[in-house]
Amino acid sequence: MARLTIDRVTKSFGAFRALDDVSLEVADGEFMAILGASGCGKTTLLRQIAGFDKLDAGRILIGDSVVSALGRHVPPERRRIGIVFQSYALWPHMCVAENVAYGLTVAGVKDPERAQRVEAALALVELAGFADRRPAMLSGGQRQRVALARCLVAEPSLVLLDEPLANLDVNLRASMEDEFARFHARTGTTMIYVTHDQAEAMALADRIAVMDHGMLRQVATPSQLYREPADDVVAAFIGEGMVLPVDVRSVDGDGTCDVDLFGHTVKMRCSSQQRPGARMRACVRARDLTIVAASSPGVDARIDHAIYQGGHFRLEAHPVAAPDLHLHLTVPEPSALRPGAEIRLDVADGWIIPRT
Amino acid sequence: MPEAAGWRERFESYGLLWGLLLVVAILSIAPLARLLLEGVAPHGSLSTDAIARVLSSTATWTATRHSLATALGGTIVALAVGGVVALVVSLTDIRARNAFVFCFVLPMMIAPQVIALAWLELFGPASPLLKALGVAQTLGGRNPLYSPQGIVLVLGVQYAPLVFLTLRAGLRTLPSAMIEAGLAAGAGALTVLRTIVLPLMTPPLVAGVALTFVSCLGNFGIPALLGIPGNYLVLPTLIYQRMAGLGPSALAEVSVLSMLIGVIAVVGILLQELMLSRRDFRVSTTSTAARPFELERWRVPVEIALWAWTTLVLFLPLAALVLGSLVPAVGVPLAAKTATLANYQFVMFGHDAARRALFNSFSMSATAAIAIVTVAVPLAYFVVWQRTRLLKFVNFAIEVPYALPGVVLAIAAILLFLKPLPVVGVSLYNTVWIILFCYLGRFLVLGLRPVIGGYYQIDRTLEEASQIAGARLGRRLVTIIVPLIAPAATAGALLIFLTAFNELTVSALLWSSGAETLGVIFFSFQQGGDSTYAAALGTLTVVVTTGLMLSTLLMAGRLPAGVLPWRD
Amino acid sequence: MTAAWLRRFMIIAALAASAVAGQAIGQAPAGRLVLYTSQPERDAAQTVGAFKKAYPGVEVEMFRSGTTEVMGKLAAEFAGGASKADVLLLADAATMELLKKDGRLLAYPNVNLTGLDPASYDRDKTYFGSKLITTGIAVNTAAKSRPASFADLAKPEYKGQLTMPSPLYSGAAAIMLGTMTSRPDLGWSYFEKLKAADTVAVRGNGAVLTAVANGEKAYGILVDFMAFNAKTKGSPIDFVFPAEGSPAVTEPVAILKTTQNPAAARAFVDFILSDDGQKLAVSMGYIPAKASAGTPAWLPAGTRIHIMPTDIAKVAETNSANLKRFAELFGN
Repeated sequence: MARLTIDRVTKSFGAFRALDDVSLEVADGEFMAILGASGCGKTTLLRQIAGFDKLDAGRILIGDSVVSALGRHVPPERRRIGIVFQSYALWPHMCVAENVAYGLTVAGVKDPERAQRVEAALALVELAGFADRRPAMLSGGQRQRVALARCLVAEPSLVLLDEPLANLDVNLRASMEDEFARFHARTGTTMIYVTHDQAEAMALADRIAVMDHGMLRQVATPSQLYREPADDVVAAFIGEGMVLPVDVRSVDGDGTCDVDLFGHTVKMRCSSQQRPGARMRACVRARDLTIVAASSPGVDARIDHAIYQGGHFRLEAHPVAAPDLHLHLTVPEPSALRPGAEIRLDVADGWIIPRT
Repeated sequence: MPEAAGWRERFESYGLLWGLLLVVAILSIAPLARLLLEGVAPHGSLSTDAIARVLSSTATWTATRHSLATALGGTIVALAVGGVVALVVSLTDIRARNAFVFCFVLPMMIAPQVIALAWLELFGPASPLLKALGVAQTLGGRNPLYSPQGIVLVLGVQYAPLVFLTLRAGLRTLPSAMIEAGLAAGAGALTVLRTIVLPLMTPPLVAGVALTFVSCLGNFGIPALLGIPGNYLVLPTLIYQRMAGLGPSALAEVSVLSMLIGVIAVVGILLQELMLSRRDFRVSTTSTAARPFELERWRVPVEIALWAWTTLVLFLPLAALVLGSLVPAVGVPLAAKTATLANYQFVMFGHDAARRALFNSFSMSATAAIAIVTVAVPLAYFVVWQRTRLLKFVNFAIEVPYALPGVVLAIAAILLFLKPLPVVGVSLYNTVWIILFCYLGRFLVLGLRPVIGGYYQIDRTLEEASQIAGARLGRRLVTIIVPLIAPAATAGALLIFLTAFNELTVSALLWSSGAETLGVIFFSFQQGGDSTYAAALGTLTVVVTTGLMLSTLLMAGRLPAGVLPWRD
Repeated sequence: MTAAWLRRFMIIAALAASAVAGQAIGQAPAGRLVLYTSQPERDAAQTVGAFKKAYPGVEVEMFRSGTTEVMGKLAAEFAGGASKADVLLLADAATMELLKKDGRLLAYPNVNLTGLDPASYDRDKTYFGSKLITTGIAVNTAAKSRPASFADLAKPEYKGQLTMPSPLYSGAAAIMLGTMTSRPDLGWSYFEKLKAADTVAVRGNGAVLTAVANGEKAYGILVDFMAFNAKTKGSPIDFVFPAEGSPAVTEPVAILKTTQNPAAARAFVDFILSDDGQKLAVSMGYIPAKASAGTPAWLPAGTRIHIMPTDIAKVAETNSANLKRFAELFGN
């Protein structure tokens, strides 16, 4: 069982609180992404799970065993997990095969079994035939695959990945994403995937844990995160949501409600616990906004920028009633809209962010 | 299922740590403690007389000022020469690089007195060079080397290879990408050097500078030779003077003066710690190092300058040595008629002690080099990566046996080992083992500093990756860390070997028949007026060591990259 | 009756004594002998080698260095408990006096002193001079002038051309200093004049020889045997016995009270003072303590060297102060 339990973990570096009371449960075989901007604490959390640092409060369990707690710390070499570092951390004085075989050598696995498993691992990452190369002679993508092969050859039940695709070019990233997805489907390994790229997280993860400033904001499936963000931060981070002030007029029992947005009434989704009230916040996505004729009801806005993005324009605007807020939407080309133009926007959908 | 941080891990980790601490305590701290005892409790009863006498004497403070001045000056010269040469050799496209490195390091093989004497002749009134240039001094003129400036110059020359070795080991790990990024951003070569290379090289630079400073502080031979006419005393020569003048009652004062030197050395280390503590110098080592700077029209002048330096520092003293060994007696001009191999005959076949000395010095130096580096690598691991607080103290303690004049360390060892060891009842006194013991304690710092500098440059995720793969501390040290730290460790081992091989001041008091060292025999010959024998012995030493250094090239294929400074 | 009884008693006593003596002589000394000496390297090795030939049962361990280092080592050993040395062969008697005053030397009352000048050994038989080493003036053969006396060296034509051994490192030089500073015609003003003339004090006689033979300095104050041995081998160096007389040291041998092997130690002293030992010294270029052993090749037979008289006790007493004053004057 490679279930991972993170229970109220706190870690400070001096006065700086890197992890603040973080709790997370990862089920056996789950692909969990930890998503956040730089400095949010996701790598710190990963290092805690791996055992490279000791925590200040809380516990970490792998399966049923406590691996990190105050007064008990299982060292990394005993945790039987795999890790792919952002910098790959390939040993320069060993060739590819030796790098991959290291864990097996340590465990006492001998040839021919060891050689077979190394070969299989390299084949898995499509680097068969690279066994005798030195890391210095490999490209970034190849090194990353060697790091992955090294991690997988020991067949761990829990794998940690620290922004593994961050240093690769776009095309390679796409194919490596497929690689990860296929690997996870085939083996059912529990994977913890740290990234700042939400597209990656959305594509690969069963669930995503969003972190910000050392705290866990929301843990949910990608779709839930997108559709029902738990707070402003998540809303703004995922899918570039726009957080707008609304007054909730009435709540229907079926998860929808009527809200007033800059004088315009809109039907939005909300949680079943939602109550009517003023000064609530709603998460609106770009795809919910459409430009309508001035005669139709809607929100008045003025365009600030129109950016051509190949086949469509990205319009950045602000509501006339609230010039400090930012709105954005896309319109197909050709479009005559230019900065300064006034438009009327219809809001088709939104989500009322629950008040905490 | 993962078990607890088992007693096995803890045992391995703590066991290793405490084992290392014990070794350091025995080698470095025990002699110092014994010496300290002599200073505060001479003849067995507590007394501050010695301390008061020494601290109130103006000679003490004058010598301290002089020591600081020459140590700082010598360090600056060594840094300038050794640093520039390391940069030029590692980062530019000069030709005959390996040969030059070989020749630059070789002077460490020649006793410093020989170099100093050769330069004295070079700058003296009888100098053939100056006569040829027409600027010979009038007879009776003072030789300019007999001055603080002369001392600083010769010290700097003596220790430039030290800075060179540590810096070169560090430059080996610098990926070309870092320099190329700077050049691409529009920075000129010198700007890149100043803003990228040197800051990244801070750890090995600091290591080299710290070692050089302490070496200059504790150096006895050069100030003894050059400070005499100018009445310019430094702490080591003051100590010697006290010993010469006071005889048996000198020990207490010697002890106090030694503590002064120790304090200065420790302050130097504190500064070094400060410099290294706040920044990140880690360099990923997976890319290849390259030499991106092309000198173009500067190449030939630079090469000329480098080889001119080598001529001054190596070839001229070597020539003086060889010529001096081929004449039947001092002062006889060398000619076809007078040339003789009798001196070599005597040294090789007629004087058992010389042969024994060659063997002893070689084995003790090699043993010391290997043993110290073996201790230094795990010790540095704990100092740099575990940041064990206990080791802060160790960092200072190991500095002192090197800073102290060799004669003081020898006296401390005598006091410690005069009586047979307890329990085993074996006496180390007057054997090679007491000399080896002193070498281990004295040169520990020469091995540790470069290795610490090396650790600062390694990316720790390389070790963490092996931890995840299941390797425990011992295996990690051997399979991952040692290959990565090998260049720095070899630099340290070389430093130790070269320094111990010619070492004089420690073994001067500790040797006896069967336990002779090269430095002692060489010096004894010179003292007795047999400088022709000394020259023959010196030449043989250089020949043998050159042979050894060349033979490492045979093994070079099997060593990790960057380990040998004279091989790319 | 009483006379007969007394006669018988004396015969028995004599027999017993000779038996004991015979036993002592018959049993050859063996074991280990530790020697600390300040003789030059080559000469020390030869001395030890010859002694081992004469007494094959004894294993000799030797420590050789300058007088300062030997005294330093002894000092450390005394402070640490007890010295490891059995016998000492040092440059000068003043050092021996210091050790004797400290109670470190063992007397050898039954030593054979035939043929030796009483001035060369200690009244209380704790140390015995083995040679006569005089200090004089060494001159490079290419030098322009030729000094005839110590006083000459202070003249302006010798300015910057003179080197001398430092008494802080050389026992012979220490005796020279002590002897010459107590003379009214030389005294401390002589050395002050030398200092004003840019005289360099170097570390030991060997350095003086090298400097003068190489031509770096034209003149040097040097011990006789070193100059003559070099000259014999072809060095361009001459030696002048100064007009005022030659300060001399006797290179005494002594036994330490804490010796572990008194029999071998006494044998060593015997060897040094024996005809063989004295002839060995002659062959190494020294003037022997025993006149009957001959003279070294460089000294024509019948030549008389005028020795500067030395009050050993006074020199020993003032040594420390002299060295300090010299150090302040010359720096080293």
